[in-house]
Amino acid sequence: MKKQAITLKNGNEMAALAAKHINFHVMGYYPITPSTEVAETLDAMKAEGEHDVMMVPGDGEHGAAGICYGATTAGGRVFNATSANGLLYALEQLPVQAGTRLPMVLDIAARTVSGPLNIRCDHSDIMMALNTGWLVLLAKDPQMVYDMNIIAVKWGEHKDVRLPVIVCYDGFFTSHQKRRTEYFEDSQVVQDFIGKFEAEHTSVDPENPVSFGTYMNDDLINNKAQQSEATIAAYRVLPEILKEYGEISGRKYDMLTTYKMEDADTALFILNSAGDTAMVAVDKLREQGKKVGLVIPNVIRPFPKEEIQKVFKNVKALCVADRQDTYGGWGGNMTLEVKAALKDDADNKTIVLSRIYGLGGKEFFLEDAEELLNHACEAAKSGKVEIPYAYHGANAGEKGLKMEKVSNPLTLEELSFPEIKKTRNEDGTVKVGAINARNVAGRPKRIAAGHGACPGCGIFPNVDQFMKAIDGFVVTLWHTGCGMVVTTGYPYSAHRSTYIHNLFQNGAATMSGVVEMFEERKRRGEIAKDLEITFVMITGDGGNDIGMGPTIGAAVRNHKFIIIEYDNQGYMNTGSQLSFSTPKGHRTSTSNVGPFQVGKGTHHKDTAQIMAATHIPYVFTASEADYKDLMKKAAKASEYAKDGLVYGKILSACPLNWASADDMGAVVCQKAIDCNFFPLYEVEYGKTTLNYDPEAKGNKVSASEWLKMMGKTRHLIKPENKDLLESIEKEIDRRWCRIKAMSEHPGL
Amino acid sequence: MGSILPNKNELGFYEIRMESVGGLGANVSGKIIAEAGILEMGLNGASFSSYGSEKKGSPVKAFARFCDVDTVVRVNSPVERPHMLVIFHETLLNDPTVTMGITDETTVIVNTKKTPAEMREILKMRAGTIGCVDALQAAIDSKSRINTVLLGSISKASGFLTPDAIKAAMEKAFGRKYAAAMPGNLKAFDLGAENIVFETFETDERFPIRPFERVVPKLGYENAPKGGMVTNPGNTVLKDNTACRQGYIPVFHKDKCVNCGECDLTCPDYCFEWEEDTLKSGKKTVTLQRINYQYCKGCLKCVVICKHDALTTGLESEHLKEGK
Repeated sequence: MKKQAITLKNGNEMAALAAKHINFHVMGYYPITPSTEVAETLDAMKAEGEHDVMMVPGDGEHGAAGICYGATTAGGRVFNATSANGLLYALEQLPVQAGTRLPMVLDIAARTVSGPLNIRCDHSDIMMALNTGWLVLLAKDPQMVYDMNIIAVKWGEHKDVRLPVIVCYDGFFTSHQKRRTEYFEDSQVVQDFIGKFEAEHTSVDPENPVSFGTYMNDDLINNKAQQSEATIAAYRVLPEILKEYGEISGRKYDMLTTYKMEDADTALFILNSAGDTAMVAVDKLREQGKKVGLVIPNVIRPFPKEEIQKVFKNVKALCVADRQDTYGGWGGNMTLEVKAALKDDADNKTIVLSRIYGLGGKEFFLEDAEELLNHACEAAKSGKVEIPYAYHGANAGEKGLKMEKVSNPLTLEELSFPEIKKTRNEDGTVKVGAINARNVAGRPKRIAAGHGACPGCGIFPNVDQFMKAIDGFVVTLWHTGCGMVVTTGYPYSAHRSTYIHNLFQNGAATMSGVVEMFEERKRRGEIAKDLEITFVMITGDGGNDIGMGPTIGAAVRNHKFIIIEYDNQGYMNTGSQLSFSTPKGHRTSTSNVGPFQVGKGTHHKDTAQIMAATHIPYVFTASEADYKDLMKKAAKASEYAKDGLVYGKILSACPLNWASADDMGAVVCQKAIDCNFFPLYEVEYGKTTLNYDPEAKGNKVSASEWLKMMGKTRHLIKPENKDLLESIEKEIDRRWCRIKAMSEHPGL
Repeated sequence: MGSILPNKNELGFYEIRMESVGGLGANVSGKIIAEAGILEMGLNGASFSSYGSEKKGSPVKAFARFCDVDTVVRVNSPVERPHMLVIFHETLLNDPTVTMGITDETTVIVNTKKTPAEMREILKMRAGTIGCVDALQAAIDSKSRINTVLLGSISKASGFLTPDAIKAAMEKAFGRKYAAAMPGNLKAFDLGAENIVFETFETDERFPIRPFERVVPKLGYENAPKGGMVTNPGNTVLKDNTACRQGYIPVFHKDKCVNCGECDLTCPDYCFEWEEDTLKSGKKTVTLQRINYQYCKGCLKCVVICKHDALTTGLESEHLKEGK
């Protein structure tokens, strides 16, 4: 047995530690709770020079899976981690990875699939991956996360297998619970165990060219027969690899973890962390003289059919607990598969009950495990199942209770702002009169108080200022992000106007659908022709990384609505990971600062200019630091949205993740404007106008005056980062000069 | 060998629950005490938090479980019947779930200026031990944070997590990245251990046993609208954000206010209340009346934007009664 050390780490940290010891060549990833910490931990280690894994953030999980696919064709070891809708967004890439027989490892911190949105654990994500051709290992605790990741590499790369492997552990229960765990002190032990990876063919060997991903018709079935053979081979070789790993680690895993099954006549089949809890329940029921046992599978692809037939041979009644549902299949996936396996054993007489439990992270207490076992005990005793399939732990609610209105809907009169004068010029451009805060003071807000944003959050003043300059009814659609999460925690909603949420990346397309239906129903006379609604989609800068495609789609269709992006320079909702809008050198949880890395490596995405290139009627930048400018642009936006799409990028302070003072948001944003980092300008029908020139006003400051106000950038002021600061200043100047020149040119 | 744990539940665990709001460092504290017990003192156990969305000021619970090294950790559910309950912020006591599950065996630590006897009346605690420590003051005195102060108090109250073990875990957690802050952190720890005042109460029959019950949502599958829809939007006004504040509030001086409206446009929490008024000229207008502290999180952006000294920074404890 090899020497091991003890640590206190959670599942995500153990996945990262395993990845460091494996020293994958490339990790392609995209942040999603609760798996994000894997990439964060690896990035923090990278900044300290602890490994060589190249960390590549995707533009979404689909992109991340693409990065991984490309990297595997090029012949090295590849890693990814995701959860829930991230897995589903990447899903179409999974059969490609398996079907073209390129091994890699994907960690899934299991989380429920939306919607409605929920970020906690169940198995509705992983069960969607069962038919993708990937092998699937399960890890019920942080120790197993470390071990299974190492085993996964060797298993998938085995010459008879050559398939990608998922390691699935429970979100939060395992991903975020710190446990006493062991790891190999010398990473060479891991290297020796997994051996050297030799790809059969690579995409970067020009002297031996090959074609990856051909177009197969009748021949495809043969490719799939090979793949099926490989999966069956994987079933055969896994016990050997588990045995070998047991010899070096002292932790010997089997296909199934069984507990007190030797003489059990009643059993529970359950996955991952809930299995541990169920062990305690087995002990309690055994004390009552009940002959109960427990089975927790450690692999579900390939499904351990023979082991299952064997272990349940003498069991009278079995409860299969599924943390997901097939909706109409009369049980969760595990119920159906266990039943199928037992059906193949002609002698088997086990009665099977299906119970759906723990959806959306609902806690699984000891009492729950006892209750599930007791259901099985009753069936064993009576020899029949009263209720074959049911939900365990759902509650009916208080009789007669309804959602009572707390306020009347805002009226058109309350929502009109005649104080803000808008007129059209002859060329179609919009002119807005002076803005006075006093004129709109005390007017109703479209979002109610009591939302859960952090103190000093920039989103809410920005949105309020914007909405105060829009006349009449508004329907908003919010991309997933801080603004959405803190306003709609069930059973609450802060939105007094109608609000819609769809998945992270798909807001602009969804709003296109809303707008089209509104117009079509008006045309058919189903909605009053004079009803006017301004449609506003609100996104963070992160939402418009993953959502850039649908946003450009809405722009090229020129749909009549407004998109505003609150740009707080990162994925703040999930714990401050880098976005493409994070500026160069800024620290985030996936662009750490250390001796080997100084924050984000590339410059920020210029979303306003990308959108200007789509030639929509109106593009603008703004910030709460200058509410008069922002509200003027909002008033213009509401007019231009009658012509087509409007896009506005609004710099929005995040005191928590910028590590700046709660009360200084507007001041920090003003400094970003005064150093020319964030020029305030607008593009009306292709004509660029700079709205504020700090130099002309005598307010110009150096970039360091802005950067020193935030903990996330203070390192950039240090002498050792002088060259980096200069490169940042150079890029700021370059972009500023372009905007200024366009503003001065009559045709641009 | 006997166990060093002073008390264990039927599954063999000594359990700690910390009640806090995001940003006060309860999660880090949980991690440090777990590391102290598990890595420094050779116990087994687990540490985790009630994760949701990662927002500053939102209520958060952190848990630590300890058992002897040969006991296997098999439960993943939150700590419901804590041997020690640590309350990072007094205003959290407005939420009855914060004190859920305390028994006559529980030691409750509260960050407060109050005495244990005064705190017992608020907690309505039948019996048990209460430890009070003014962690905010100790944090200011040591130029550290309240979580490090409370680590000292936790060490003292636990009777088994030794100062050396916790200090060693603190050194590992902060020592390298925040070396300059370490002397202050260690001072804070010592103050937390020295300044905490304990009192143990026998039952005097004034407060009943509180039976433990899990919170069951009032909306369920029979009465909730389909699809997770909220049909009474705007209902966040029923919420109370008081616990988000960290001791400071904006104070409104009506006599200096010119009703310019800039505070209303900068406030993230929509706390400013206006009423209709008539100017001397007879023109209808609105004037600012007050700040609604039910929603104010104390960010003080309004104080920064006010050019007329009509909004100034004040101590919540001096200006507000009962957080309102």
